[in-house]
Amino acid sequence: MLRVENLSTSYGQIKAIRDVSLHVPEGKIVSLIGANGAGKTTTMKTIAGLLTPKSGTVTFCGQRIEGWKPHRLVEAGMALVPEGRAILGKMTVLENLEMGAFQRKDAQGIKDDMEKMMTWFPILKERLNQLGGTMSGGQQQMLSIARALMSRPKLLLLDEPSMGLAPIVVSDIFKVIRQINQEGTTVLIVEQNVKQALKIADYGYVLEVGQIVHEGTGEALLNDERVKEAYLGGRKHA
Amino acid sequence: MDLLNPYNLQVITFIVLNGILAISIYITLMTGQLSLGHAGFMSIGAYTASILTKQADLPLFAALLLGALAAGLIALLIGAPTLKLHGLYLAIATLGFGEVVRVIMLNMEITNGALGLTGLKSIGNTLYEWQKAIGVSAQSVGVSVMQMKALLTLFFLVLLFAVILFLTLRLNRSRIGRAFEAIKADETAAKAMGLQISYYKMLAFIIGSVLAGFCGGLFAHITTTVTPDDFNYHKVVEILSFAVIGGSEIVWGPLFGALLLTSLPELLRSLAEYKMIMYGAIMVLVMAFRPHGLIAADTFQKLFRRRSKQASAAKKEEF
Repeated sequence: MLRVENLSTSYGQIKAIRDVSLHVPEGKIVSLIGANGAGKTTTMKTIAGLLTPKSGTVTFCGQRIEGWKPHRLVEAGMALVPEGRAILGKMTVLENLEMGAFQRKDAQGIKDDMEKMMTWFPILKERLNQLGGTMSGGQQQMLSIARALMSRPKLLLLDEPSMGLAPIVVSDIFKVIRQINQEGTTVLIVEQNVKQALKIADYGYVLEVGQIVHEGTGEALLNDERVKEAYLGGRKHA
Repeated sequence: MDLLNPYNLQVITFIVLNGILAISIYITLMTGQLSLGHAGFMSIGAYTASILTKQADLPLFAALLLGALAAGLIALLIGAPTLKLHGLYLAIATLGFGEVVRVIMLNMEITNGALGLTGLKSIGNTLYEWQKAIGVSAQSVGVSVMQMKALLTLFFLVLLFAVILFLTLRLNRSRIGRAFEAIKADETAAKAMGLQISYYKMLAFIIGSVLAGFCGGLFAHITTTVTPDDFNYHKVVEILSFAVIGGSEIVWGPLFGALLLTSLPELLRSLAEYKMIMYGAIMVLVMAFRPHGLIAADTFQKLFRRRSKQASAAKKEEF
């Protein structure tokens, strides 16, 4: 569904990612993991059209999309849950969700999806008229994901969904992500929380200083000695 | 009838005119853009309308609309390169634009340079002609001709103001208003939700500029003169301070700012030479105690809540 090849993005003179290639097959969950500053968010922002790549190609559903503006990508069926949630704090939960469906014209479809969100995220139903900014971090993350789903995307991009959340909330979020995937949405996650991200991933990529250094199925990477040592606080050298 | 003297009526007229200007800066600020070009757009609207009524002898109201459109057209041209700028950079660019407009008006022959254009058609005269045409004279209303003209101008402006305010409130609740709000709150989030940021920013910029241009035309045809210095740096600061003092979260903020800042110099008149000191002191105090402006989004809610609390407390005391 999404194929990224030899993607490079720079901030001025500084190359943030170099020759990143990855593939997200339809119906799967793919995780891109790595430490702080490895270039995960840069990769995500380039795919979502918030940054323009220096070189390389991005193909989505058979179309070359690198350099497209974000609104065209949303129209094409890609939705980003931005890093740090980006909730509209002075709008209510309901208004935030409506904004997610901004480009859609099918009133009935929007209504149906709204109901779906209420069943997937019961907490949002309770707080429909509360201002987005007054909710807890976990609730805001749920809202941010629900808002992205309101555009009825084929591919959901999640940028650090676990950021700043308590461990118990993180596992709730990942449960929801798995459920969304089972309902038919393809998912690409960028995460520092390596364990959680690989546990639910069909396939994973490890990014280090702007380059992909390992890849494999989620399970294989979880059991990979190098990954264990670098990210999972695994066995120390004896 | 002392209250209805033409001078007082003109002060009130300017309060209403500044109210429309306040809406114009509010709409640009709705997307979080700090534009200091409003005086420049006013100038374009004022000169376009004035030249059309004076040289081309166009009907007054057609000229006012064309002046507003001219300002909108220039905004489209100026906006394309500048709206990519953020915050203070946009402010500096648009401030520069205003100065360029002023210098151009100062040096063109058709604008009559520093002397400006005088003897323009007055809105009061035009409306009074109409009124006489339907057979109502000032005497039959019981006021002098001067008063009648001033009253007609005021009524006309209040009517325009009401229509523009109504449309602005509608805009707030519309899809476009939501988009503006989202862009102001978080541009990345707005992009991620699929909003075409540049389109909405341009739209807000153009609506604000059209309104400013319209105000320029009105201003010229109320005072019947227009000079380049009517729209200088001081005018920029004046318009901006409506939003800064009043608050820019909801439309009532800048409107209240316009009311306060336009009427203060008149209310403080008895202080004579101390007037401007008081004026400055009031601005400093407002900024010190209400840094986000006098009226915020939750000001009304808080007021009502307090009142209902007091009411329920009063009820309890009764028992």
